[in-house]
Amino acid sequence: MKTDLHEQLIKDLLIESFEGLDSFDRDLLALEAGTGGPDILNRMFRVIHTIKGTAGCLGLQKIERVAHVGENLLSLVREHKLTVTRAIISALLRYADVLREMLHLLETTRSEGDRDYSEVLQLLRDLQTPEAAAPAEAAPAEIAPVEMAPVGAPVVLDEEVAAENGWGLFDDSAPTPTPTPTPTPAVPLSVTPAPAVPAAAVVAAVKALPKVSVPSAPVPVADAGAKTSVAETAIRVDVAQLDRLMNLVGELVLARNQIAQHLVTSRDAGLQAVAQRLNHITSELQEGVMKTRMQAIDSVLTRFPRIVRDVANELGKQVRLEMAGRETELDRTIIEAIKDPLTHVVRNSIDHGIEMPDLRTQAGKSPTGLLFIRAYHEGGQVNIEIADDGAGINPERVKQKALEKGLITPDMAARLSDREAVSLIFLPGLSTAAKVTNVSGRGVGMDVVKTNVERIGGSVDIHSELGQGTTIKFKIPLTLAIIPALIITSGGERFAIPQVSLLELVRIEGPDGKNGIETVFNAPVFRLRGKLLPLVYLNRTLELGGTSEMTSADDVRNLVVLQADGRQFGMVVDAVNDTQEIVVKPLGKQLKGLTCFAGATIMGDGCVALILDVLGIGQHAAVLAENRAGTNTSTAAAETTDEGNRQTLLVFDAGENSRFAMPLSEAARLEEFPRGKIERSGRREAVQYRGAILPLIDVANQLGRGPGIVSPDVLQVVVYSDQGRSVGLVVDRIIDIVEEKVVVERHGLEEGILGSALVQGQVTDLLDVRGVIRRAAPAFFTVAPSL
Amino acid sequence: MKILIIDDSRTMRRLLSSFLAPLTENIAEAGDGQAALTVLGQEAPFDLALVDWDMPIMNGLDFVKTVRADSRYADMKLMMVTAQNGFDTVSQAIEAGADDYLMKPLTEEMLFDKLRVLGMAE
Repeated sequence: MKTDLHEQLIKDLLIESFEGLDSFDRDLLALEAGTGGPDILNRMFRVIHTIKGTAGCLGLQKIERVAHVGENLLSLVREHKLTVTRAIISALLRYADVLREMLHLLETTRSEGDRDYSEVLQLLRDLQTPEAAAPAEAAPAEIAPVEMAPVGAPVVLDEEVAAENGWGLFDDSAPTPTPTPTPTPAVPLSVTPAPAVPAAAVVAAVKALPKVSVPSAPVPVADAGAKTSVAETAIRVDVAQLDRLMNLVGELVLARNQIAQHLVTSRDAGLQAVAQRLNHITSELQEGVMKTRMQAIDSVLTRFPRIVRDVANELGKQVRLEMAGRETELDRTIIEAIKDPLTHVVRNSIDHGIEMPDLRTQAGKSPTGLLFIRAYHEGGQVNIEIADDGAGINPERVKQKALEKGLITPDMAARLSDREAVSLIFLPGLSTAAKVTNVSGRGVGMDVVKTNVERIGGSVDIHSELGQGTTIKFKIPLTLAIIPALIITSGGERFAIPQVSLLELVRIEGPDGKNGIETVFNAPVFRLRGKLLPLVYLNRTLELGGTSEMTSADDVRNLVVLQADGRQFGMVVDAVNDTQEIVVKPLGKQLKGLTCFAGATIMGDGCVALILDVLGIGQHAAVLAENRAGTNTSTAAAETTDEGNRQTLLVFDAGENSRFAMPLSEAARLEEFPRGKIERSGRREAVQYRGAILPLIDVANQLGRGPGIVSPDVLQVVVYSDQGRSVGLVVDRIIDIVEEKVVVERHGLEEGILGSALVQGQVTDLLDVRGVIRRAAPAFFTVAPSL
Repeated sequence: MKILIIDDSRTMRRLLSSFLAPLTENIAEAGDGQAALTVLGQEAPFDLALVDWDMPIMNGLDFVKTVRADSRYADMKLMMVTAQNGFDTVSQAIEAGADDYLMKPLTEEMLFDKLRVLGMAE
């Protein structure tokens, strides 16, 4: 046999046998659970039988011999001459592992190895003759199979040797002068008188056949197309081949994009039409090739029945595994990437989630725990949920553990919601199990799961209810090779942002937009629908130069709202270009260490654009905690800060020609209220704000500077809070937020004014916030809050 | 010459097909008896079918029985290729109308010996 053919056949055998053994395991477990269909034993037999047959044909005598032993046992079971016991199932599982090991050896070393499996094989032989079960003795195990060594490779087969020559039904060497074509299907072989075959029966059978006289005409060679059979609708393709195809399609997409770029300047209608067509074909081709790379998630899930059984047995737990959505498809590279994280979580769920049977009974649950794995498509992603009905995670214990290990501060611990506390298990170095078992312990924890999943652009979320169980939900992208992305410009460079991280785009312009940017704890934030969004200036983070800060009201900035690690942040960019399908090219080894970039892509004009790693950027710019320590940046409250001379100031107008500034840190929030919302009681004005009354103080009026610009319909209000009470300072117009070194000149003349300073080159009065408030509402600082 | 290989193992099909390649380019494959019947229905006539014994959906024996009950395929030679052993199985196959019988593990020589007996190889 030619070596490359032989090589190919061995490859086939390996693939086929591994698949077969997976199904074998599955069936075995179904058999144990009593859930198998009627065909289950046949199927199991066939798997081993096929391995034996093909291995034999390829000269793999050791595998053939090992397969033979299992085949004997299975054949007894299949013919109901042997009842399936737990011992048999366990032995067969071990046996399947032996076969796998041999196949692995074959795969890696191209030899069958010389390991000794006699113990398992003897066990299988022993099980064929159950103690008192005499009838089983006569089972076909005694009818030894004929083991023929391939020519040129004689092999001595111990127990089977005796049977080798035992059948002499056909005499191959006898010449049979049957011409072809024959008018009737005669028996073209000489039947030696063998007792088991009544010659008469054979003759009768032959006679019973209908006579047809017309011999088939020779098939013309031109009919070679018939070689591809309709029955065989699926073929196997080497994964490397698919990867190459994918790469080529990627290049084609790039070329298409480049043509599209050139077309912008072309007036050739014919060319336009062809390009259009090329565009469509490329898209379809791309989709088609992507589909060929899709694989049902079943190829991962199929391992779980066995894992669940083994882990549960090891721990003395009872677990029932249910799976749904096994046909859900994913790109095969992703399937590879989620295999280990999923397995880890499954082990964890059994180890830490599901309780011992007696504990479950005490808790009023069924002693058998349920592990439910569900996969389904949702919004261009695949969700995989692993749910158990176990003990759930105690948030207090997680917090305590995190505190002990110094992963969080007591202050943080107090602020964490239960859900956030449970999520702490994703922190590196946190293990809640009282004792570390060898099933899922060893400190390799959920953080690794999380990291691995996030590396492929997915996310993990956990939901746990004490006593009820835990659900871990994975969100996984369908593919990694070609992704939709938003192209943006910053500092004169273009970047791609993967669409999965993108929440929305906000255009900041005019005074309203500009005022939305505030500074809290020296960090820029943007007020988006009442929530503070930490901001990242991309040009600053990547040190690209250029300005992104808004210096005048005419400036326009683009804010890209992103999500990573379950948090949101805004990224200020110069321009938002468009969305595109980009082909992800990995960065070279030298650049792998850069956390801000996920790869590169080639743009339509042939330029290279870097793909931003949103998580990395967020961490680099410190708007996302490196380890999810639970600091809630988005709701950080303003407190007094003690920076040096450099202060962040809120600059505003209040009254005619009156420009004021106050430390931004003294402003809890900036709000706008429609004039119609103002309620009056006596001389006091107030609005309803966050379920309470917010008294309003008109700054200009209070300082005798009013009336300023008559604010049309909307009041600009700076909210000041102290000890749970709030007051609103009404100003005419918020001008800016600036960070400046201010030198204060004190006059000490005017109440409510601390002094004046040059801010942005203009004389600006510094407002004595507390003074103004004290003057307008003397009770504010003295009376305890009524709440 | 046109040959149909019926076996649930891809490896076996490929192996047999490589053995038979010198004889003909017209080789079709099917993964079980039922699928083989479909191929026959669409691509007959075939001169020879190599039939595995133990297959899902429709096993080799049932396939042989079905084919032999159909006059359209009377000229097609049927060769059982299987690791099934014992006299019972062999006799069953012959009674059902199989022309010959080949045991796994098989070699190219064994196959061609049988084909010569059937007059399909020199």
